[in-house]
Amino acid sequence: MMRYFLRRLGHAFLLIFGVSILAFLFTTLAPGNYFDEMRLNPQIAPETVAALRAQYQLDRPLVVRYASWVNSLIHGEMGFSFAYNSPVAPLLLVRARNTLLLTVTATVLAWGIALPAGVWSAERVGRLPDRLISWGTAALLVIPDLALALGLLVLAVRTGWFPTGGMASVDFEDFSLLHKLRDLALHLALPILALVLSALPLLVRHVRAAVAEVLGAPFMLAAQGHGIPRRTLLYRYALPAAANPLISLFGFSIGALLSGSLLIEVVMSWPGLGPFLLEAILSRDLYVVIGGVLFSTVFLVTGNFLADMLLYWADPRIRTKSGAR
Amino acid sequence: MRLRRSVAKWLVVLGVLHGIVVCAGFFAPYDPAEQDRKSPYLPPMRVHVVDEEGHFHARPFVYAFRLRQGTFDQYEEDAARSYPLRFFVRGARYRLLGILPSRLHLFGAEDLRIYLLGTDAYGRDQLSRLVFGGQVSLLAGLLGAGITLSLGLCIGAVAGYYGGWRDDVLMRVAELFLALPWLYLLFAVRAFLPLTVRPLAAFFLIVAVIGAVGWARPARLVRAVVLSAKERDFVRAARGFGAKDVYLLRWHILPETGSVLLTQAAILVPQYVLAEMTLSFLGLGVPEPVPSWGNLLSSLQQYSVLVSYWWMYLPTLAMVPFFLGYLGLASSLQERGPAYKIERRSLGSLT
Amino acid sequence: MQTLIKVENLVKRYARRNPAGGQEELLALDGVSFEVLAGSTLAVVGESGSGKSTLALCLACLEEATSGSIWLEGKDICKVAEKERREMRPQIQMIFQDPANSLNPRWRTLEIVTEPLVLRGGISRDEMKKQVYALLGRVGLPAETAKRLPCELSGGQRQRLAIARVLALEPKVLILDEALSALDCSVQAQIANLLMELQGALGMTYVFITHDLGMAAHLADEIVVMNGGRIVERGRAEEVLREPREEITRRLVAAVPRLTRSPLAPIGR
Repeated sequence: MMRYFLRRLGHAFLLIFGVSILAFLFTTLAPGNYFDEMRLNPQIAPETVAALRAQYQLDRPLVVRYASWVNSLIHGEMGFSFAYNSPVAPLLLVRARNTLLLTVTATVLAWGIALPAGVWSAERVGRLPDRLISWGTAALLVIPDLALALGLLVLAVRTGWFPTGGMASVDFEDFSLLHKLRDLALHLALPILALVLSALPLLVRHVRAAVAEVLGAPFMLAAQGHGIPRRTLLYRYALPAAANPLISLFGFSIGALLSGSLLIEVVMSWPGLGPFLLEAILSRDLYVVIGGVLFSTVFLVTGNFLADMLLYWADPRIRTKSGAR
Repeated sequence: MRLRRSVAKWLVVLGVLHGIVVCAGFFAPYDPAEQDRKSPYLPPMRVHVVDEEGHFHARPFVYAFRLRQGTFDQYEEDAARSYPLRFFVRGARYRLLGILPSRLHLFGAEDLRIYLLGTDAYGRDQLSRLVFGGQVSLLAGLLGAGITLSLGLCIGAVAGYYGGWRDDVLMRVAELFLALPWLYLLFAVRAFLPLTVRPLAAFFLIVAVIGAVGWARPARLVRAVVLSAKERDFVRAARGFGAKDVYLLRWHILPETGSVLLTQAAILVPQYVLAEMTLSFLGLGVPEPVPSWGNLLSSLQQYSVLVSYWWMYLPTLAMVPFFLGYLGLASSLQERGPAYKIERRSLGSLT
Repeated sequence: MQTLIKVENLVKRYARRNPAGGQEELLALDGVSFEVLAGSTLAVVGESGSGKSTLALCLACLEEATSGSIWLEGKDICKVAEKERREMRPQIQMIFQDPANSLNPRWRTLEIVTEPLVLRGGISRDEMKKQVYALLGRVGLPAETAKRLPCELSGGQRQRLAIARVLALEPKVLILDEALSALDCSVQAQIANLLMELQGALGMTYVFITHDLGMAAHLADEIVVMNGGRIVERGRAEEVLREPREEITRRLVAAVPRLTRSPLAPIGR
């Protein structure tokens, strides 16, 4: 067990490390940087620009820049933001927390609906409930998430039931704890709804497909023949067998939800990594972009790592292949 | 080539939809760049068949808009004069399929610019921009998918067929690309390329970016097919006849990847169109004045537009019939049984 | 009769990556040596995992041996250069066990049989077409099967097809890797007879891989028994059947189905 855990952990670290190199590699291709904008500004003397460039080490070779970035990473800084004139890490941490809040809640909710719906649908393949769910998911699938997000925003504006952006109301600080929670929930509602609605159809379809395939397997037929009650059949026979594809799907869904959250955060002004990253791209704030991309990678890799561990626990075949011989 | 019924059905649907977009000049009443500064943010004109007095007209007609008294952006219909709709009218010049010059448009009205989907801040007809915008967005999706699948095919084939260190290296790099959520990856790559470019260059830039970023998943799928095809006895037999690697790949192994690639194409194209829409919406894609479904929506980022001018939201739904078509195609391709039978295999057509 | 094939100390190791991440080695052939006389049939008999399929692949140059030699007409095909090996390929051909797997399901009969001719090259399209129809007739396939797909043919017809295409190259040696095992009993007899008839007419040498000792005895002149990658017993067919020496051979003999009132004397327990 320990060996598998350590191996997957090492793998995860290597991935993050590799992505950081990849991100840095892209910067060598980048024409234009933050200071080119400044150079265009006639009010700022060219010497100032040159001095700033040297201060931010933009003239040093790539390897040196990477080394000093890793160094600043170890010191908890993750490079420097030109636009905000501050280390990147504290800026990102707050945003990352908000993105995590949104994405984790959406994941829990989406799976909380998709699993029962998929299983229920798989048990009744071909019959009316299954067909209804199929059409419902198809209808949701063909609506682009951009349309969903904007549509929900229009809904919020028209009805006034939900706040139209941000994470907290203006006088958030003055609220009681209960009021604060309620306020947060209200602000969270629309982004979560948009995210869940965009991810749900694919999840339901795949859960249904995976469970339906297991339900049709010969061993299930044999178990039914033994007279095992339906509930036990489902929870102790079918679901464990479907665990493998479902857990892989879980890993995949985290990536999809993270991508989705990027767009939805921007549209709904949720103060997460998304809008911050976009702003950094538009202003060429190099280290913020690298930091933001890396954070998203960390989330995804962590999610997949959890999925791997879950798989290890759920699928005995993995245990026997890697450990006991 | 014989196609399964369901596959053929969806291909026809998609063909019609794409046909409309390809012949944008004909279906759009006006040139998308034409501005009408006197009519900013006009709501969509309603098509009537029954007039104010209750008379039925066989030919549908519209009323012009006039500003409501005391407001500066509220319009109401002016029932004083009705403008009948005419079909196959002569209008702005355009080139059908980029080659044939023509002036024929599907519909129009005399003496009045008819705005079936309203106008934007510059008074440009949204319907025309929508149809022309589809050209950009759909082309971006199709080209991008083409690039991704070509890359995926080459890399997957090399990794699967030759194995060894090539396989290890390529699959590790694929894992790196898969370790990033795809939109973040897209942003990251886009970020490090010039921000302000001319529309044509921007278009090819984002096609290249979108295409180059998504190769990992198709490559893995192709690799799996190649790995299993490699072990088939008919490949062994051909090798026994003296066939070289290139021959085996070309005639025996890669044809097995056909259905995987087709299914991936049906899934990727809508995803990539959406990617272009997202990038353009946020200002990272195709810039003004070239219309694309994404930048048609970018004005919605302003609260005032979002609240007051609901017709600006309509381009988001333009994608829906296309999504439906591609979704249907993907489903029909994934049904059991061969999606198509290729009748002639030209190993030097003997038959 | 002279020796056509001589196998000397053939060793084959496979390196497999196991799913947990380590490497493991499989010793499939552990120093195999034997000779085959020209025009005769040698049967290689063994259970699953005895290494006989690996032996077949190595003989047909479809796998590279880790060490050892295979001599064919004075040349060691294991050590010969790639170009020369490709030139020698037509001389040793293989018939696989499952024709559903060994024939490309998307190709039609005509294309399947033409493939080896196209690869060899050197003759015109018309000439190829003529030869193909002649080959189809030779193996007993009617001309109208030419336009059919393998899935439209029966198991026996498919195996005939596999034989036809291999004959296009006029091989000296035919390796039959369980070529009859996937067929129904009655069809087995038909194909076996076809093979025997072709051997007589064309003077080919057969190496017949099988797990069925009874079939081997019926078809082969000499038998070689394999177990765990090694040859454990060898001799003329009737001798091995009548007086099996090794335990594994005895088990294989006992597995041969026999009618109670058989003229064959019961083999000693």
